[in-house]
Parts: sequence; structure tokens; C-alpha cells
Amino acid sequence: MAHDTEFHIHHDSPEKVGRRERLGVRILIVADGSFLFSMIFSWFYLRNLNVNGAWLPKGVHTFTTSSGYMAAAGLVVAAVAHRIGEKKMEARKITSMVAFLALIFGLYYQWHQMAHMPFIAQDDAGRPFYNGAYASNWVLVAGANMFHYLIGGFVALGLVIRGRRASIDPVLEEWRQRIAGSWFTWIAVSGILCAIATSFK
Amino acid sequence: MTTLTHAPASSRPIPNPKKSLITRLHMGTGMVVGIIFCWGTYFAMKAGRDMTDSHNVNKVLLASMMMWSFGFLVGIGALIGPFRWLIGKDLTAEEQLYLAGDGQGVKRYFKYCTDHKVVGIQYLVGVMTMLGAGGTMAMMIRTNLATPGSHFVNPNVYNSLVGLHGITMIIALIIVSTGPFGNYIMPIMIGAADMAFPRLNALSWWVLFTAIPVLCSAWFLGGIPTGWTAYAPLSDQAGPGMNAFLATIIIFALSTAVAGANITTTVIAMRAKGMKWNRVPIFVIGATISVALAVPAFPTFMVAMIQTAMDRTIATGFYDPNVGGSGWLYANLFWIMGHPEVYVILIPGVAALMEIAPVFVRKPLFSYNAAIAGFAGIAGLSILVWAHHMYMSGWMPALNGPFMVTTEFISVPTGLLFLVLIGTLWRGKPWMKLPMLSVYAFIWDFLIGGITGIYLSDVPADNYLHGSMYVTAHFHYTLMGAALTGAIGGLAYWFPKMTGRMLNERGGYISFWLVQIGFNVLFLGMFLAGAEGQPRRVADYAHLFAHANLISTIGAYSVGIGMLTLLWAIIHSARSGVVAPMNPWGAKTLEWTVPYPVPLVNFDTPPVVTSDPYGYGRSAK
Repeated sequence: MAHDTEFHIHHDSPEKVGRRERLGVRILIVADGSFLFSMIFSWFYLRNLNVNGAWLPKGVHTFTTSSGYMAAAGLVVAAVAHRIGEKKMEARKITSMVAFLALIFGLYYQWHQMAHMPFIAQDDAGRPFYNGAYASNWVLVAGANMFHYLIGGFVALGLVIRGRRASIDPVLEEWRQRIAGSWFTWIAVSGILCAIATSFK
Repeated sequence: MTTLTHAPASSRPIPNPKKSLITRLHMGTGMVVGIIFCWGTYFAMKAGRDMTDSHNVNKVLLASMMMWSFGFLVGIGALIGPFRWLIGKDLTAEEQLYLAGDGQGVKRYFKYCTDHKVVGIQYLVGVMTMLGAGGTMAMMIRTNLATPGSHFVNPNVYNSLVGLHGITMIIALIIVSTGPFGNYIMPIMIGAADMAFPRLNALSWWVLFTAIPVLCSAWFLGGIPTGWTAYAPLSDQAGPGMNAFLATIIIFALSTAVAGANITTTVIAMRAKGMKWNRVPIFVIGATISVALAVPAFPTFMVAMIQTAMDRTIATGFYDPNVGGSGWLYANLFWIMGHPEVYVILIPGVAALMEIAPVFVRKPLFSYNAAIAGFAGIAGLSILVWAHHMYMSGWMPALNGPFMVTTEFISVPTGLLFLVLIGTLWRGKPWMKLPMLSVYAFIWDFLIGGITGIYLSDVPADNYLHGSMYVTAHFHYTLMGAALTGAIGGLAYWFPKMTGRMLNERGGYISFWLVQIGFNVLFLGMFLAGAEGQPRRVADYAHLFAHANLISTIGAYSVGIGMLTLLWAIIHSARSGVVAPMNPWGAKTLEWTVPYPVPLVNFDTPPVVTSDPYGYGRSAK
């Protein structure tokens, strides 16, 4: 492979680094999307199979349809707040704090739901189990939401702290805002898709 | 190099990075913190729990294993970067230089080092260790099967051996080319100073490293009785050793996602000036397609493992029909990953051989575009064939026909790969050096692996052959015959660039013939036993199969001796082999334009590519 060495480029510009980092995050979102697809596949597969009529055994309570959307609300609010902050730099300190708080409240709400699941039964030995495939799938979806809240919360907290420090490269930081925006948008979409899936009982 | 140049302009350099916490952390501190986290979790969770309940046992063990992994990463310093980002104190240029292992000699191989060349060597040693462990288990399996009666190990141990051998080898083969060569060689091949995300690069290796002791712990926890496929509900009901399997796969899937994102981004965004897509070396294309396929494939496997773990720990019922679960769910999720995974393993090995062939016949690669079409076609079709593993499971018999067609259709892009290699060799005058032998071995081995695969894709034939030793022989011809052969060829080819020395030719030749003859004796014998009806994964067999099994075991010993010879050749050559010139093969790709040891930023001045990498026998254009 013929080549020459006439150029002396040693330092990549923040623009180039930013684009690269955004691409990397988007590829990771593809992996997370595949995870989400597998969960939703499990949900509808077992629901349609309804093995032994035990998707939702008689007498087992479910969450309301709206509770799935409530669980996703924190993710959506965080994504919207972050997008506003991306466009209005002067409001960024407030919007990043709003995004962070939305994620913390959402995390708490999801945790609260998981602590009060209506479908846990006890076997003959008094040990708890998840009664029905609906219950099994619901807890997996809730766990994935929790994971998104945690990662989103970490990123949002970082942006809150970094937004208050002066010693940050503004160009690279602008890119990181956009990259975080990709992640927040994705977890909001993921939360909504989970809510739609869980509304099929 | 990205690690060195992206430090924010306003970040404050620390006076002396040698006093920073980063400089005090290494593999030893990682292990200490990992063990503390692991045992701390174990004892904390065990307290007050009824440990006669298998759910509690599984809960405690799984949490302890995951905390080992997390603790190790904390202890080796992998999380310092994210933490410093969180608090708004980005790593300084000096700290990033330190992380790149600048001037640290051999110590950097035991640290969280971001230099892609160090990570490549770490992967190489890790892969060789895994292959050694998996190979030893294979020898034990074949020793047990040498004569009827299962005299060497009892059936339970045999089951565990089969499971652990399988998963160890699968993991090793997934990373056998993309790990060492994808990290060490590939960035140089594309003219980059480093990977796109150096810290993630180191993370992918050390995350994987933490999975190794977890998998080993399965031995001490009663083993894995399910085989590497870990079918549910068997895996739901298996003993504590199964937790090690689940934790390993979850950790490995994380490592793969990170590595996949990193390699793909590097190739897309960091190619040298002038390296248009039609000038990218074919190994780079193959490795990229492989990891890009792994990125969406492995999370489905991870979901299957998490569901199994949930069944075993908190009593969900994904795979328990009593509470609405189904083993078919597992089979679908597993094989939606499982079949693409075969090609994740295979493609980089074939691509490495396509890199080698033009160099040693001094001809351009025959139809570069056909090679790419072959890889892309295989990758695309591989996500549409998974249910051919489930013909006999009773899942959707109406879909057997369509899945048979898609599976048979995948032989078309596979045929393109043969066309490219044979076309490259056609009327050439091969320079029969060690790397070139692997090209011929691949054509023979993979032809057998591929053709027997067509029989297995056929529903009526699969009805008879399913679950037999025939299947075992087929996939060994495919995975070992293509991926491992390609990786060994790649190692012989790139060894001078990775170690500065030539791989011992005599040792390499002896190893090659012992392995290839032994391999064919081993697995042709296994085809025979399988065609006669010997079931796989069974410790004992009828006297009818005795001769075929004895022949296979003799072949296995030949492979074992050959692999030990190769190991000797590698160690001997790395320590005291003939010093290699900068470009011993006269190749045209960029990695041969840099000296050994390769500088920290690879190129003193970023290269500009002006011609294709296989322009042998014609002037540059």
C-alpha cells in the first residue's frame, strides 16, 4: 500500500473527537436496542403462547396500564429537559438539574413499583415466587428501566457538576451534551416501548 | 494518539503523575479489591438467609461473582476515568500518557493500560490460556471416549467437561482473531494512532479477564451439567456451578459490546487520509463486520442468561411451564445469538487468511468486492437461520422449510469466500512460508465443514443426524478448521510485528502437520461414528462405535502434541527467535511500515494512503 507522510496531523480536533464519541455511543445504543428487542420478544412470545393458561393466572393482579407510562415519565422528562438545554445554553444549568431530578424521581417510582408488586405468591413451603409469565416479564422490564435510570442518572449528575465547573473544554463539552442527548432520547424511547409492551396484559 | 491529545486545554496537569492514585493500581490491587468485594458480598448476603434454599444459594453466589468483577475493575483503576468525568476533573494529559503505559516496560501488561498494542498482547496471552484450558478438557473428553465404558471420568464429570470445554472454546474463538490482531494490528493497518476509545479498549480486556476465574469456579461448585448451550429448563434446575456459567456470559457480553463499539468506531472514523473504503485491508473489513454482527447478537444471549438467572434466584418462571414459561423461549433467544456467533467466530479468521494469500502469491486479492459481498451476505443471512438448530425441538414445524432454504442459501456467500481465495491462488507461485500453509488447510477443512453443514441444514437429514457426533464433527471442522486455522495463520504472519522476531519455522511446520493430520483423523472418525448413530454429549457408547472413537482419540493426541509444539515455538521464538526485519514478507499494508517496537502513537507522521493494499504485480495508482 503506497503512502506518503507529508501531513503532520497529530492532534484530532474536538469536532472530530465529538463525532467519534457520538458514533461509539450510537453503536452501544444498538446493543441496548437489541437487549430491549429481546425483552419485548419474550413478553409477546410468552403472552401469545400462554403456556398452561399461566401468562396471567386467575386471581393474579396486574399493574394498571398507566403505571408503565408513569415509570417511563422520568425518562421522557429528562430527555425533553436535556433537549431544551442543548438548544438554550443559558438555561442549561437549570435543565440539566431538571433532567437529573426527573431521573431520580423516576428511579424512586420504579423502585416503589418493584417493592409493591401485586403478583408475588408463595409456594407450599412459604417461599415467594412470581406467579405467571406476565409477572416474570414485568420484573425484567422494570429492571431494565431501573438500569436506564441509573445510567441516565449518572450521566445527568455528571452534566450538572460539569456545568458548574469552569475548567472544561467548551467545544468538547458541547459535543458531550449532544452525545448525552442521544442517550437520553434513546432511554426515553425505550421506556415508552416498554410501557406499550406492558400495556398488553 | 487520542488518549494524549484530547485532554481539555484548560485541564490542570498534576505536578507529578507518578504520585497519582492511577500509578499505584495494577492487576494485584484489582485482585485484592475484587476478592474483598466478592467475599464481603458473600458473607453479607449469606447472613440471615436460609442457605438450604437453592434460590438463596444462587442469589448469594451470583451476586458475589458479579461483585468480584466490579471490585476488580475498581481495584485496577478502570473506573477512575468515569468517576473523574463525573466530578468534572478530566484525566490530565500526563495521566493519560501514564495510562498508555509510556516507559513502563513489562509492568504495563499487568495494568489498566490503554495502549492498543498492550491490549492486543493481553488478549493474545488470554486467548492462548483459554485455548490451553479448553484443549486440556478436550483431551480428557477424548481419553474418556477412547474405549467404551467411561473409565477415565464419571458421567457427571464428563458432562461438566463437555460444557466447560464448549463455553471456554467458544469464548476463546470469538476473540481469537479480533482480540489480538484486532487490537494490536488493525489500528496500525488503517493508519490510526490508537483505537477510538482507548480506555474502553482496556476495559473490554479487563472485563473479560474477570470472567475467567468466574468460569473456573464452576469446577468447585459442581460443574456445568448442561453443555455449553445451557438449555432451559435444565439450566434452571442445575446446581450452583451454573451460576458461574451465567455470570461468565453476562460479563462476556458486556465486554463484547464495548469491544464491538470500539472497533467499529475506530474503523469508520479513524482511517488514514486516502484510505477509502475500497482501500481498507480485507482483514479490517472482516473484523469490523464480525464485531458489528456481535453488537446486536450478544445482548439476546445476555437476556437469555439474565432470565435464567432470575428463574434461579428470585423464582421467576421464564422457562418453567408451571408458571407460563417455555423452554422454546430460551432456544429462540439463544440461537438468535447462537448462529450469528458462528460467523462472528469465522469471518475474522477467513479475513486473516485473505490478507495472507495475496502477500505470499504476489498477486492482487481476487475480487475484493466479492470478498466483501461474501462477508456481508453471510452476516446478513446469519440472522435469518437460527431455527435450523430447532428443527427437532417441535417449535413451529411449518417454518422448517423456510429456515432450510435460508440456511442452504448461506452457502452462496460462503462460496464467494472460496472463490476469492482460490482465485487468488490460481496460477500463482506461492511462497510456501508458515502463514501460507494455513490458507491451504482452511480450504480443505472448511470445505468439509461447509458441505456437511448443508446436509445438516436439510430437515430430513437432520432428523437422523441431529444430536449425533456428526454434528460435533461438523462444527469443529467449521470453527477449528476456519477460525482457529485462520488465527494460527494470522499469528505466524503478524508474529514478527507483535514480537520483533520470526516464528520458528521448524516448530511451526511440525506443529502444522501434527495438528492438521490429527485434526482430520479426529473429526473424520467422529463423522463416521456420528453417521452410524453415536449420540453426542454421552460419556459411554456401544461397542459398535469403538473403532471410530479410538481413531478419533489418536487424532486428538496428535492435535494436542501439535498444539504444545506450537506453544513451544511461540515462547521460544518470542524469547530468542531470529530478529525480524521491518517487513519480512514484503507486504504492502501499513503495519509493515512501522518498526518494532511500534512507537506509542504508531506513526511519527500520519500516513496518507494512495493505492490499494493488494497491488502486487502492478504499479501504484
